[in-house]
Formats: sequence, C-alpha cells, structure tokens
Amino acid sequence: MADPFETLGVDPRFDLDLRALEQRHRDLSKALHPDRYSGAPAQERRLSLGRAIDVNEAFRVLRDPIRRAEALLRRGGAKVGETVEPAAPPALLMEIMEVREELSDAARAKDLPSILRLGAAMTARQEATLKKLAQAFADAATEPGKISDALPILGELRYVRRFLDEVSALEEELSP
Amino acid sequence: MSLLEIFDPKAAPRPVGIDLGTTNSLVARVRDDKPQVIADCNGARLLPSAVHYDARGAVIVGTPALLLAAEHPRETIVSVKRFMGRGADDAETKRLGTYDFAAPTTPEEAKSVRFKIHDKVVSPVEVSAEILKALRLLAEDELRTVGGVVITVPAYFDDAQRQATKDAGRLAGLDVLRLLNEPTAAALAYGLEKQQNGLFAVYDLGGGTFDVTILLLDNGVFQVKSTGGDSALGGDDMDRALASRFLVEMGAPEGDHGLVRLALDAARQVKHGLTDHDEVEIELPIVGGATKKIVVTRADFDAMIAPIIARTGVACRRALRDAGVKPEELDGVILVGGSTRVPAVRAYVEKLFGKAPLGDINPDEVVALGAAIQADILAGENAHAGEVLLLDVLPLSLGIETMGGVAEKILPRNTTIPAGARQVFTTYADNQTGFDLHIVQGERELAADCRSLARFVLKGIPRMPAGLARLEVTFRVDADGLLSVTAKETTTGVEQHVEVVPSYGLSDEEVETMLLSALDNGEEDFEKRRLIEARVEAEQVLAATKKALAADADLLSDDEKARVSTAITDLEGAVAGDRTAAITTRTEALDDATHAWAGRRMDRAVARAIEGKNLSDVEKDVAEAAGVDAHVEAHASMTRPS
Repeated sequence: MADPFETLGVDPRFDLDLRALEQRHRDLSKALHPDRYSGAPAQERRLSLGRAIDVNEAFRVLRDPIRRAEALLRRGGAKVGETVEPAAPPALLMEIMEVREELSDAARAKDLPSILRLGAAMTARQEATLKKLAQAFADAATEPGKISDALPILGELRYVRRFLDEVSALEEELSP
Repeated sequence: MSLLEIFDPKAAPRPVGIDLGTTNSLVARVRDDKPQVIADCNGARLLPSAVHYDARGAVIVGTPALLLAAEHPRETIVSVKRFMGRGADDAETKRLGTYDFAAPTTPEEAKSVRFKIHDKVVSPVEVSAEILKALRLLAEDELRTVGGVVITVPAYFDDAQRQATKDAGRLAGLDVLRLLNEPTAAALAYGLEKQQNGLFAVYDLGGGTFDVTILLLDNGVFQVKSTGGDSALGGDDMDRALASRFLVEMGAPEGDHGLVRLALDAARQVKHGLTDHDEVEIELPIVGGATKKIVVTRADFDAMIAPIIARTGVACRRALRDAGVKPEELDGVILVGGSTRVPAVRAYVEKLFGKAPLGDINPDEVVALGAAIQADILAGENAHAGEVLLLDVLPLSLGIETMGGVAEKILPRNTTIPAGARQVFTTYADNQTGFDLHIVQGERELAADCRSLARFVLKGIPRMPAGLARLEVTFRVDADGLLSVTAKETTTGVEQHVEVVPSYGLSDEEVETMLLSALDNGEEDFEKRRLIEARVEAEQVLAATKKALAADADLLSDDEKARVSTAITDLEGAVAGDRTAAITTRTEALDDATHAWAGRRMDRAVARAIEGKNLSDVEKDVAEAAGVDAHVEAHASMTRPS
C-alpha cells in the first residue's frame, strides 16, 4: 500500500490535527470520488474508484493511532507487526492479566458499573500511552535512530486497545 | 447535450430517482432545480408495490394488483422487497405470509427464494423488475425517455440484497447509475432544502425495513458516520402483530391464505386509523359466515407494537456509539418512512434522542426526492453538482471464513466506501492448484452465523511446495456498496489469471437472456435497445471528454491532443450511424486515448484539493516534461510504498 501520509498530503508525524485530517479527506474525496466521474470513460471511472479507495484507506490508517504509529515506523525502516516486534515486558503482562481477570469477573456477574469503571481507568491509561508515543516520535524526528524506541510503547497501546475493545463489546451486550 | 438533440429533440433522456419501497414505490425527477414526484394520470404519487400474475400470464402492477390481493393471495405478491436477496430457508421466508414457494432442486436455487405462481416460478428480482418497469413507463409518460436512474435501498441491505436490487433495475431495462442508501437520500433532500450544517440522525422506519444513520452535513458534503438497522423490521410487522390477534378472533384455521390476507389488510386499515383516532372499530368475518365487531384502542395497539419499536432502539444506540456521538450532540433528527406516522414511534424517537424529530418533509416522498437529486447530480445536470458529495459507509462487516469456521473481518462495518482491502493467502498442500474462499457479511464471530455472500474457487495456481504460493486477493466495495473480488498469484512474478465464480447475482448473459424472453419481438427489440444504450454511453463519454478538454487541455502533449481529437471525431461519426459495434469500439478507442491524461487530471484535482501545496510542482512538471509519460512515471514512483 502507498504511504498514507503521502496519499493524503500531510506531514508524517504522530500528533496530527485530526480535524484538519478529516477536512483533507473530505477535500480529496470531492476531487476523486467516483460520483465526480460518472459519465466519464470506463478507464477513468476505474482510476477514480482506485484512487478514492486509496484515500479512504489512508484516512482509516491515519485516524487510528495504532495504524498511524505503524505507518510512521515503516517509514522509519522499522519492522512492525506483533510477531516481529519485541516481546512485552513481564510487568506489563502481569498488570494486563490482573485487570483482565477483574473484567471477566465483572462480565460473569453482569456488573456493568464495574465494567465501565475498568473501562474508564483503561481509557485514562490510553491517553497517557498516546502521549508517550507522541513524545517518542517527536524525539525520533530529530534523531532518526531512536525510532525503534516507539516500538514497546506501541506494544503497550495494543494491549490497552484490546482491553478497551472487550469493554465496549461487553457494554453493548449488557446495555439495556 | 446538443448532440442528443440532433437525434431526437424531444427525447433527451432525463435522469430519475426511484424509491423501491416495501409497501409503495415512487419515481421522482428534478425540474427547474426542484425535485418532484411524478404522479400517474390519476394524480396518484405512490405506486403500491404489488404485482399480480393472472392465469393467462399477464402481469398487473400497483393499485389494481392490490385490489386482487384478497381474492388471489398466492398470485399477488406484496412486500416483495422483504424477499430480495433472501435464501429459500431464510427465517424471513417462513413468516406469516400468503405465498407458495418453489422447493429448490439444486443448491444454486436454494440461494434465492422463488415464488410458485400458477405453473410458473418467479424470483423476487423478477417481481421487483415489474414494479420498476411500471415506474419507468410512468416516468416516460412525462419525460419521454428515461436516462440514468438512482434506485434507493435500505442502508442496512447486505451485498446480496443490493445485488438483487441492481439486477432488478437491469432487468427492467434501466441504466442504474447508483444504488443510494435511503437515509442518505432523505438527508440529501432535507439538507439541500434547509442549507443547514451539523450532525443529524435519520430514523427511517418503512414498511419492511428499518435504518438509522448518523451523518454530518458540512458545506455540501454528506458524510455518513455510522449506520445500523434491521432489513426485516417495519410497518408490516405491526400489521402482522395485529393480524395475528384478528385471526384468533375470527377463528381462522391455519394456512388459509385468503383469511391471512384479509386480516393483514384489516390490520393495516386499523393502524392507519389509529394515527388520528384513539380507537378504531372494525368488522371481521368469523368462521361460519357471521361477522364480529372488534374495537382496537391506541393503547392496545401501542402495547402490541412496543417490542417492535424497542428493536429500533438497539440499532439507534449502536449507531450512536459507532459514530462516537452522544444524543445531545445531534442538531436534528429526521423522520423517514410511512411507519414514522405512528404516534408511538414518534414518541419513542423523541425520548430516545432527547429532541422532537423534524418531520416537515413528507416522510413517504423524501427518499425519492433525494434519489432524484442524486441522479441529477450524477448525470452532471444539477446546479449543485460541483459542491455536493455523498460519502456513505459499508453497513455490515465483510469477512472471510478462516480455519475453524471463524469469520475474520477484512473490512469493518461503517468503513467509508468505496473501500478496499488486500489479503495474502498461501497453499497448505504440495502442488495445490486451487483454493476455496468463503466470503461472509455480518457481525457474528462464526462464519456460519453470518450471511454467506459468495464462495470463490481460486484456480490456476502453479504447482509448487506447500506455503510457497502467494495468493493476493483484493476486495473492493464500490460506491453502491457492492463487493467485487479479484485475485492473483504473485510468486511467479507473472500475474496469473485466477478464476472467480460468484455464487449469486445475475451475470450479464443471464440478464440478456431474461430480457430477450421478456421482449415481444425478441432479437429485433434487443438489438435496438443495445444500440440506444451504446449511444447513450458514447454521448456521456463525449460530453465528459469535451468538458475535460475545456478545463485541462494543457495537460496533453500535442501528439496526445491530436489522438484525442481524432478519437472524438471518429466516435461522433459512429454515433451518427446505427452500427452498435462501431460505436462500442470507438468509445473504447477514446477511452484508451484519454487514459493517461485522466490520471494527470486527477493529480491536478488532488493538488488543488491540497490547497496549492503541490500545485505549482505538478504544473511545472507537466510544462517541463519532454515526454508527458515521463511525468506519469515520476508520479508513480513518488506514490509507491517507500
């Protein structure tokens, strides 16, 4: 896939202005969406479809902090993907295991308030992790060699995200 | 346009929008910049979506068909939309209804419900095509020739249901420009009239489908944030709830199609009466010949339909959550669909979203009006064409079945369309030359619990040890929300052609055969039609090319400019004649001559969208390029993955 920063014409950085990004996506959609090429020759319509897909996909990547971080790391020459990234430190694994246990207890008891409380705590944790990640990428911007420092923080973010995904699935299941 | 007028000044094809509804269908067009519903010669604006097949093989559509429904419940199909894209053993097929179904004889046939009428077997696609044909005739009375058509579908329709709708359009001889989601169509009609920006919820409860869509209106861009719903929930269910009670009161034996039809009709009347009255009395025939008076109060009815309305709440809350929007952040709630007239529905919506819904556009017509506007825009005729854009989403996640029967999501629900995804597979046995791929749609974890869309067999993989082949499968969802799949084997370096066999939907050949058998003069009519279609396409391409020349001729080298203008002259010559093949070939030639240029024009449009950031670069590149192709090459390498 093409580099999403280039596809959307934005600076390759982690702390993107998401509103400006959304505006850029809309502007580019106005230029490339197949509706703009209705009645055009067949190859042109196919081209517009392909490019609109690229723009939508790039937006989907950059909007999501995990995939945005992966795109930045790829640009910096780092290998990404859970199987090639460094293993998570035991302390983090222990911590995640403990909160997971709490979450499954709450799920078994259909205890929605506890689930929401665990979710809120993890959301705060996510904010902090995102800040750390932004800092790591900012440091790497001046010292490219440091880009791999972002890898363990990304790993942490993945655990946090999975936990939050489970919380929202439970929330949906248990909400009236 | 000028060229078309040379052929027949009276018959310039006009774009129309069609709301193909469960209960009623409508056709609308834009006139003097205002969308309007086309009425029939009696002034009726709604065509009942009822199709009657009589014993001699004639087909009757609309109100006359509806009048025959009570007497001929099995030969008159109403609410056919509920059966679109449904399999023979779908739950929907087995609900309270009045039809006989043909038992499938092959697995292929089991993929689509088929009605047994007299000695004929009819598919929902064919029934819908009859409704669309009736609407086409209605529109032709007013416009003479119908051009491109936008047909609306429930936002929550899955791929099979969308494909079936598009097939029905083709079968009715329509040039389907686009399938448009009903809530988005409503928002378009509403938003353009009110010129208001903000976040809106569209609550669309029709005869047989429910949709909710959260969207953002921002200076002409209608961006759908999320959508949800139930493609088998609507006013019909209210009728059924009430009819079940009537059938008990009537002492009706099970399986009496005529009495079921009668009870359903009575229920609908009572439902309508209760919109403005607190109670309605109805006289029902009871077994043995006598009649019985029954009073239904609004409170009774509200209690009966409460579980139905509550099901809409689940979808609404999920759509809000998916959009990341809280009810208080909404600027308005738009009501669509006849069933939103039910007072209990309005009260529920108001409580759910915490604000009184906007209902100042006729909820029966707003979808068709929006479709007409979109058709006008796509035909390039609308004053708003340059500023309006609809960005819709995929309503249900697309996935593939993996080991253990788990559905792995490749495109999650609410992804903005058009969308694409690529997945790489490998072989698990030595010398394996084929690969099965099962594509499903839905949110459930197991593939068996999702809607099965297609089973593809990828063939033609070169023989090699297990795990070495790299099969790259590309999924694309176009702006209609329709999926297409292509595959290639990449290890050998050669792009292998891999065969993909869709398991539903009609092929072009099938549509051709069905059209042929439906036309009175078979071949001859069909040839005429193909000529007209080829001409329409050629005219569109010519118009688009000339428009492009007026704006971007500077992006062509002199050689290319000469090629394009020759191709234009050739095509114009062919269009003036009546040889279909010549028109098609020369349309393709013009297509080829403009292909590289189209890429450059898109680059320029992108550069402009990025506010001049790369604009000067692009223009300089083009000016300096000794060969224009060198520029294209440079751009290609720039956008390749780093």
